[in-house]
Formats: sequence, C-alpha cells, structure tokens
Amino acid sequence: MKRSRIAFALSSVVFLVVLAISPVKDMLLEWKGYQKDYNRLIQDLPQRVAPAEIGIRQIWVPKLDRVDRCVTCHLGMKEKALAGAKEPFGAHPRIDHDVEEFGCTICHEGQGPATTYKESIGKVAFWEHPMLPREYIEAACGKCHKEKTVTHAPVLSAGRKLIEEANCIGCHKIAGYQRQWVPTLNGIGSKVNRAWLYAWLKDPKAYFPKTKMANFHFTDAEADIMADFLMGFTSFSDSASLDPLPAEAAAPTEAAKTALEELGSTRISEARCISCHSINGKGGSIATDLGKVASKTSQQWLYNYIKSPKRFQPKVLMPRFRFSDKDLAGVVTYMKTEYTDYDLAEPPKHTPDPQYYEKGLALFKKYNCRGCHELEGVGNTGEVGPELTFVGSKKLYEIDFGQSGIEESLPSYLFTKMTKPRVFSSVAKMPDFGFSPEEARAVAVALLGNTNERIPEEMQVRPKQASTYDPQGEFGKLVNDLACFGCHTMEGRGRLVATDLTQEASAAKRDWIENYFKVPYSLRPILTERMPNFRLSDPEIKVLTDYMSKVFLTDTLAHDLSVTEASAAKGKLLYEERYGCKGCHQIEGKGGYVGPPLDKVASRLQSGWIFHWLKDPQALRPESIEPNNKLSDQEAEALTAYLLTLK
Amino acid sequence: MKNALDRIVRSQVWRSIFRHGLPDSNRSRAETVFYNFFLHLHPTKVRKRSIKFTYTWGLGGMSFGLFIVLVVTGALLMLYYRPSVPQAYWDMKDLQFVVSSGTFLRNMHRWAAHAMVALVFLHMLRVFYTGSYKPPKEFNWVIGVVLFVVTILLSYTGYLLPWDQLSFWGISVGTNMIHAMPFGVGDKIAFLLLGGNIVGENALVRFYVLHCFVIPVVAIVLMAIHFWRVRKDGGV
Repeated sequence: MKRSRIAFALSSVVFLVVLAISPVKDMLLEWKGYQKDYNRLIQDLPQRVAPAEIGIRQIWVPKLDRVDRCVTCHLGMKEKALAGAKEPFGAHPRIDHDVEEFGCTICHEGQGPATTYKESIGKVAFWEHPMLPREYIEAACGKCHKEKTVTHAPVLSAGRKLIEEANCIGCHKIAGYQRQWVPTLNGIGSKVNRAWLYAWLKDPKAYFPKTKMANFHFTDAEADIMADFLMGFTSFSDSASLDPLPAEAAAPTEAAKTALEELGSTRISEARCISCHSINGKGGSIATDLGKVASKTSQQWLYNYIKSPKRFQPKVLMPRFRFSDKDLAGVVTYMKTEYTDYDLAEPPKHTPDPQYYEKGLALFKKYNCRGCHELEGVGNTGEVGPELTFVGSKKLYEIDFGQSGIEESLPSYLFTKMTKPRVFSSVAKMPDFGFSPEEARAVAVALLGNTNERIPEEMQVRPKQASTYDPQGEFGKLVNDLACFGCHTMEGRGRLVATDLTQEASAAKRDWIENYFKVPYSLRPILTERMPNFRLSDPEIKVLTDYMSKVFLTDTLAHDLSVTEASAAKGKLLYEERYGCKGCHQIEGKGGYVGPPLDKVASRLQSGWIFHWLKDPQALRPESIEPNNKLSDQEAEALTAYLLTLK
Repeated sequence: MKNALDRIVRSQVWRSIFRHGLPDSNRSRAETVFYNFFLHLHPTKVRKRSIKFTYTWGLGGMSFGLFIVLVVTGALLMLYYRPSVPQAYWDMKDLQFVVSSGTFLRNMHRWAAHAMVALVFLHMLRVFYTGSYKPPKEFNWVIGVVLFVVTILLSYTGYLLPWDQLSFWGISVGTNMIHAMPFGVGDKIAFLLLGGNIVGENALVRFYVLHCFVIPVVAIVLMAIHFWRVRKDGGV
C-alpha cells in the first residue's frame, strides 16, 4: 500500500513537470529573443528609435492572400537609422513598393506565417515555396510585371530578351513572346556548301560566336546524315531561282579583277554593311558575320541574294540596295577575295548513308528543327518541350534531378538546365545555347517569374498591345523593300536601333530629309549603326518624303517664333554660359561629342521641335540622355532663336 | 463547525441533489447506488480475479481516457480551426506559429489518436485471448468491434482536416478505394462521402462534421452501452 502511494506521488510530480514543458517553451520562443535583442540594440543608437512591444507582428495583404509575420523579427525595416544594422534588424533597401501594401513573401517567397527562422526560410516539409535566393529575386517582379522591359529589374528584362531572341517558343509554349525571324531552309542545298554545313551543324558558334543557333551536340554520324539530308533541299521558296553571275563578273585579267575588287570595296563601305553585319567580330550586331561568308556560300548565291534578299528569305530585314549588276559583280568579287575562310577543314570523307533521307528527316523531327526553321515538305511538329507559361509554379516533386547532384531547388534546376541542358536525363533533346552563367541566371529569373499565382487584375502590369501599323501603297512597298523596321520604329512598330520616325516631319525639314536619303550621314559620330546609302532614285525619295511629311506629323509640336537679334543674343548667352550646352554639343568644332553637332541645325530641324525638345527632351524621345533643364518658355524661345541662326 | 455542516446537508439545495442521507443501512446503501449516475454503473458484485490488473491491463479504461483527452483537445482545436479550403491550412499554420501552446494541442490530439487506435486494438486482442467474447458477452463483443471501426473512422476523417498534400492524397486514395465496390454502390457512397466527385470544399465540410459531431456521438452512445454491459457482466 505504501509503495503504491509513493509511486502515485512520484508519477504526479512527473506529470506536473511534463505539463509545464509547453508553457515554458511558449515563454522561450525564438522571436521573443529577437525582439528583446532589438530593444537592446536601439538603446545604443544615437538616434531615437521606438522600441518594439513584445508580440507577434504581421502584414496582412488580403488581395494577395498573404499573411507575413517576417516583421515580427525584422523590426527595423523602415528605420533609416538601422541601415546596415545586423540582421534581422537592418532597414530594407529602398524599393518602389510599400512593404505595408505588398508584404514580404510576394517578392521573397518563403513561409510568411512562420515565426521561426528555419520555418520562415521555407525549406521545410509541407511548404512549397522556399525563399528565392538573392540573385533570383527579380523573378518575383515578373509575377505581376508582364511587360518586356521592367524598370529596375535589369536581370529579369535581360532574361526575357534572351528567351525571345533564342526563340524558345519554337519548342516551348510560353505566353507573351513573339516568334523571331529565322532563315528558311528552303533551297539551302543551293545556298551553302556541304563542308560548311557539316561544320556549322557540329558547332554553329565556331563560325559565328553571336549566332542564336544552338549546339545540338550532333555526333559525327548524325552531322553527316543531317548535312546530306539538308543538301537535298535545293529549291527556294516561291520557286525563286538563282540567276547566273552577270557578264561583268568575269574578269579576264588580274588588273580587271583588281578594279572590280576596288569597286566592290567602295560599294561595301558606302552601303555601310558593317552597321548591321560584323566582319570577323568587328561591326554591327544585328545581322550575321560576313568574315567567312565566301566559304559558306557561292559567289552566285551572294550576287542573287544582295540583288534581292527577299526573293530567297521573304521576311528577312535586309534592305535591297539599288546596286547595278556591275556594282554587284564588284561586291561579290571583293567578298570572294576577302571573306574566305582558308582554315575551314574539309569534313572527313564519307559515303552517304543509303537511308540518309529517312534518318535525316527523323533527326530533323526529333530535334524539332521545324520549331525555328521553315522547310518545305516537312510539316510543323508542334511544341516538343514542356509548356513554360507557369514553370515558376512547378513543384519540386515534378522535377527529375537525375544524377546531376545539384541542390534540389527550382532556381538551381532552371539555371543548370540553361548551362547544361542535357545533364538531367540521357534522352533530353534540348540544345545548348551557350549561355554564360549570367545569361543562364537571367533566363532562369525570367522563367521563375512565370507563375500561376492569382494576382488581382489591378495589380498586373500588362505589356502594351503590339502595334498593328502596316503602311500600304508605294510607301509600304519601299518600307518593306528597305527593311526600315529593322532599325527604325514607326507608330510603335519596329526596332529602336535608329530614330523613331513617328514624328519625323515635325522634327526635321523636308529638304533636309530629302538630302539625307541621298547622302546619309551619322548625326552622332560615335554610333556604330549608321544609315546605309541605299542609292535610292529621286522618285523613290519623293514617295518617302511625301508620305512622311503627311503622316509623321504631330500638329501640337508646331511653334512659330520670330528671331530677333536680341533674342538670339540672349539665347547664345544661355547656350554658352547658363546651361553649358557645349559640354555635349559642338558648334564650329568646339564642344563635346556626346550629342550631335549643332552647326546648320536650323536647316535640319523645325523651330517647334527645337522649342519643345529644349522644354522636355524625354517627352519627345524617352530614350534621350539630354538632361531636362526645365527651361521657362522665354528661355526656350531665346535658345531656339539662337539655334535658328545656325544655318 | 458541525452545526454549519449539518445546515448544509439539510438545505433544500443539498437534498435536491442527494436524495438520501449518509448510507447507514443496506437499503440506503442500495439507494445511494441507484440514485447516483456514476455509481449505478457499478456491478453489484465483482469477482476478485477480474480486478487483477494483469487480467485486463486496463486497456479499455486507458482507451476511454484517451478518448477524453481527444474530446478536450479537439474542442480546443475547434476554436481555431475553420473547415474551408482557403482557411484550413492557414489555421494549421496559425496553430503552429501564433497560438499559445498550439503545437502542443495539435500534438496531443494527434498522438492521443494514434495511441487510442493502438490501445483499442490491444484491448480487442486481450478480450479475445481471455475468451471474454463468450456468452453471455457475445453482444458486447459485437459492440466492441463496431467501436473499433468507429475509432478508425475517427482517425481517418481527422486525416483530411489539415488540408495539406498528405491529407488530400490520403483521402483521394481512400475514397478511390470505395469506388471499387461493385454494382455502382461504391460510386454512390464515395459521392455521398465527398459531396461531389473530387476532394474539395464539400468533402472538407463533410469530413469535419463527421469527425467532430456524427462519429463522436455514435462513439459515445456505443461506449455507454459497452460500459454498461461490462459492468453488468461483472467486469470493471
């Protein structure tokens, strides 16, 4: 009896202790320690910072369905005095979003409701979104910001550009990207020679390091089959055919050949081919490298192509230069001499596989070459890769990490997929785009931002509607023929290598435009991309300027003013003294060279344009780097008056 | 002092609760048992060997003790838990992170549930090995088996309530097994149980009601009968 009483007493004590464990644990919670630490820390600060009341804090964002308790420990988020303080008390770097409005985990991910360090990081069971590593943080911007270029998110924007340029949508479905122009393979057998094609298939970047074409890591045998298969496609689109080289190209003597080469060299530099093309790496980056083009293709093809590019590549953005047959003969003779790769290795001799067509077609389909390149007779095989529109919401259990041995997280998976596309599986078909680590990270960031999270409509930033501008008639034909959209933007369509022409007639005088077509020059000598001389005929120039002076006009930009000597003198003073314009602009050879020289600016620009430009340059051209000096109307008018004296 | 006590015992309130005086005769002893809810459960006589601990191991009593723990912790958990798809998982998180001793509550509930299944099973084994299912106790054995099933159903319905991946797939698999019943009966039962064809909002509410109301009520009624019978048949 006595023994059982002792046992009863002892077990009562044990139960009491066990019951006490939970309240004690409650008292010693991790976040309470942090809050006390914080209150000690702020006492040592010179500035007065309000101490934290002990208790859980949270940001509740109903529209994003988030409760973030990060601020329970991150107490100094909004205290400037705590910039650079030890974590978790440091102030948040300045961003464009109010933390109170957006919360924390919409950007950082992690487990918002958690109140312990380990749980909040989110690499725990029953939580699917661990915190984004810092170098991938811009992925979060991409959840709401769907426009192509996102201000303050350079990595995300670069990633989106890379995805578009690499034409990922050839194989993957991804919402919001435009298909890129890729050369058609129709007639490739009549265009390139087999040795070049074999080398290209083996490693495209060896020929042109900036090519968008990826390396499919073909084996020698596969490259042979593909080369044989492709060389069989000898007829061009729309039954175009190669004309024979003109009689002028036949140079019977060495002297005649030298004369032709000289003519060609002159025409090539006049046409400013290097505005778009590079020659062995030097020059523009819009089009392919020409340094070894004569080893890739024949003189005959070059002659035909330069004569009329769109006959062979209907959608190419190469302008048709108005060369005579003699000019062209010179150009191709020069190219043959200068642009030959004497190091191009002959591929090893081989006997074509008797089934090269079937096997080649199978390879062509397996690697979905049709995703980018058009080839007559081979139907579209559709997207062969997984859809990537919501890849950022992919669950870890859906990913096969194979034998890669990398950290098992979505960012590291996507990054590795970009650098070593076939490392996760021996049957993976994705080619190697040769991304640098920075590029691979940028692409991964852009992809991680493609989530299926529900973002309220009013919080989404959608891309602008693509312009439907498509000029018709004579002007439209010329715009197509000269591939103006390849460099210029008009009414929101085209690239911005050169000026946006939408308001050109309000900016420049008609006479100047006409002369510019005849003898184009670069307004800013430091630019690589320059307007080529297309050798347009007078009627063609008239068509262009007629259209421009009627359409590319904004009435509100007109601003007539009378130039008096007094106002011009006042303007001169402003130019030289007050605003230091000569820091960037030159007049009579004096001044900087960032902006265009202003000699004869009065014969180039309209008075209204000058006036409005001075008032607010970015209102007219958002990309302009001219500072907005916030001139008064009188000052702007005086400066305009001065500039109008420079004829 | 004695006077005061006397006054309390004679008061209207006291006598309305205890209708008899202190038991001093066989009649009043019997009355004490008859009129007291708790005492009347007792058997009129108990054999000495049946109260030996190593005979019953107290497994049924311990199961009932755990049931009490589960009712108490469950009621407290109900204060924080909302059976709706957008809220359920977040309420789990709140219990884990912000409710004082919330994790303790959940763990108590969970481990008590596991332990109860184990103990009920052991209890059943004990009854089998001591032959306690034999007449006249065969009906009580049947009730016991039903109670075992009820215990398992309580565990199963509670499994869905955290609304995490484990719950979702656990219930998906379970209800898909029901579909395998022949003659289309399975489909009907599964539909009834889920309130639809998928594990969604309706299923969550149904499982919540089953877990917190229907099955506990059934369990309590059956337990009352079970205990009554045990007592009347001379057990403890």
